[in-house]
Amino acid sequence: MDGVLPIAAASAFRQARDPVLLRVDSITKQYADQAVLSDVAFDIQAGEILGIIGPNGAGKTTLLEALAGVLPAEANDVRWRGERLPASRRHEAMFYLPDGVRPFLDQPVTRVLSFIGGVYRRSTGEIEDAIKSVGLTPVLHKRVHSLSKGYGRRLMLALGLLTPHPLLLMDEPFDGFDLRQIRMIVDVLRREASEGRTLALAIHQLPDAERVCDRFVLLADGRVRGVGTLNDLRARTGISEGSLEDIFLALT
Amino acid sequence: MHSPETCHVQNAPLRPLLVKELWEILSGRALWTMLLLMCPLLGYSFLQATSLYGEASVAGLRSPVLASSLSPLDGVLVPTLGASYVAVTLLFPFVAIRVLGLEKESGALRLLVQLPYRPPALIAAKLAAVLAALVLSCIPAVSALVIWGMQGGHLSAPETLNLLFGHLLYGLLVGAIALFAASVSESAATAAIVTLAFTIGSWVLDFTVAGQPGFLAWIARLSLTQILRTFEQGLLSAGLVLGIGAAMFGFAALANVWLPPGVQVRDKVMRSIAWVVIVALVLGLATQIKLTFDVTEDRRNSFPAADQHLLASLAQPLVVTVNLAPEDPRYADLQRNVLAKLERAMPDVSIRLASGRQSQAATAGEDRYGEVEYAYGARSDVSRSTSPREILPMLYGLAGVSPPAPAPGSDYLGYPLVAGRGVALLWFFAGLPLCIALAWRWNRRLPKSITAES
Repeated sequence: MDGVLPIAAASAFRQARDPVLLRVDSITKQYADQAVLSDVAFDIQAGEILGIIGPNGAGKTTLLEALAGVLPAEANDVRWRGERLPASRRHEAMFYLPDGVRPFLDQPVTRVLSFIGGVYRRSTGEIEDAIKSVGLTPVLHKRVHSLSKGYGRRLMLALGLLTPHPLLLMDEPFDGFDLRQIRMIVDVLRREASEGRTLALAIHQLPDAERVCDRFVLLADGRVRGVGTLNDLRARTGISEGSLEDIFLALT
Repeated sequence: MHSPETCHVQNAPLRPLLVKELWEILSGRALWTMLLLMCPLLGYSFLQATSLYGEASVAGLRSPVLASSLSPLDGVLVPTLGASYVAVTLLFPFVAIRVLGLEKESGALRLLVQLPYRPPALIAAKLAAVLAALVLSCIPAVSALVIWGMQGGHLSAPETLNLLFGHLLYGLLVGAIALFAASVSESAATAAIVTLAFTIGSWVLDFTVAGQPGFLAWIARLSLTQILRTFEQGLLSAGLVLGIGAAMFGFAALANVWLPPGVQVRDKVMRSIAWVVIVALVLGLATQIKLTFDVTEDRRNSFPAADQHLLASLAQPLVVTVNLAPEDPRYADLQRNVLAKLERAMPDVSIRLASGRQSQAATAGEDRYGEVEYAYGARSDVSRSTSPREILPMLYGLAGVSPPAPAPGSDYLGYPLVAGRGVALLWFFAGLPLCIALAWRWNRRLPKSITAES
């Protein structure tokens, strides 16, 4: 395993100086002869909220799954703090919350939370904090299969909050929420980031992305069309007051 | 709490995983439905078995000779647990598939593989849940044995435990196959078809090609159903137990290979081939292990104790050449009454078929057909008998030793019993289903509060 990351082995000195937490050198994924991701490359900086933006079918989910190591890819070269991180060890550094998943359908919400909390040695107080922060209290004793779409999302987010990974990948975290709920979830995510956690969110609703993300990776047809903050992207496109939507349309 | 240096999540406690897997299998309808279906199935088998045993016992109670042929192992245990075999073959795959199939279907597997457990730990926890379900599915069978005991029926602990052990191994093997099927299939329905192809395919194989000569006989031996035969005969075979263990391990290893979704299929295929080769080697080794224990109370698989003792002291090789076709009923008699017992009693026995694996039609016309030659040291003799009463004196003659004196008081007397039907009828068709339904309802209760399961 020489040359391959033990996560804790990266020196504190280098970590303090290098803002790049994770560098995607290249991710390429094909289904049959069709390229879904073509040599995708970008950085994720420590403590930021990165938005992976693109329309449906752009390859956002495939990118997150390949990045998390739960989907095989033809090329999947990723560095964590400068050290190569093989796909089989990604789960040590990041946790991926897929879209549309209802975990452990027959179990009550409390038992699912107790399970994940137990795996990561969370105290009862920490589990209760996660429940309160995402507003899961009304459905604690319901079974997962009977949850509404919104509460299903909240459960997934609560599970993500219970994991200790420095990087949390979330696929469409706002899908199924109304405006007020989105604001609440944005607050939760901001609080996580302020506590030192890095978030990468795949979002297809551009106004939602603009509201929560610090930087953006614009993805279309499996290719990266732009990377940077909103101001970086405005400068690149020459649209000084443009919204993320305007910029995306200009770049794709 | 979430700084990049603090991610040391490689070792997590196993308890939450085990608890979760147990809850998952207990929460499903499949297990409880199977238990409910087993009640009438097993109850009917038990009632039929005790009824037939009772009819035979009427004559046995009048005649000690007839009584000596009445063994609860053959008369009650094997047919009663036969119903359990049917349930495990047809229904248990649906229970075992649940532990992985539903997670694949719902996408929860993508969460599970990110938890700080290695795939072997995940598979081991799922196998533990399958074992727990299997133990629960033994409740109807064990309750039948308890009723038999309460009615005054005799149970020999070694042969009863051996038979239960055989059924447990068979169930675990089916569970391991189901787990493997779930790991390679995208849906639980496909996994069920794959598993049933193994279990029902074995069943069909067993009664279509068993007893056939040559290659078909070899194919028939691959049937999963054959596993139970040895245990039903009251034998505990080290080679068989090792073989079943290796097969279980093999299927679990394959499930482990196919579980992680982030690995390329060609890598999974290469690893699978390596595991298949390893397990095939262990299975080959298992076929060479001849250590077998006769655990029956009537010692049906052994010669009388004095003969066993004397035969064990005959150190030279015994070579037996059989001029019979494998499908000839005389060969089956000879094998059961003499050859299998000799292999277990003597230190060095070689048995070969003079006709190889040719069929009866091809060999029956030969002059020596039916003869069995016994060569011990430099001496040999020929017999057409399939009875140990003729063969053993001949062998002692070849070895130049005197036959042992029969030990008095070692005869099996049998256990005739005419049992009533009322208790069993009430238990299997009312009491036990009610208990299972109540347990199901109790199991569906919701937890009252959050507790970290670490």
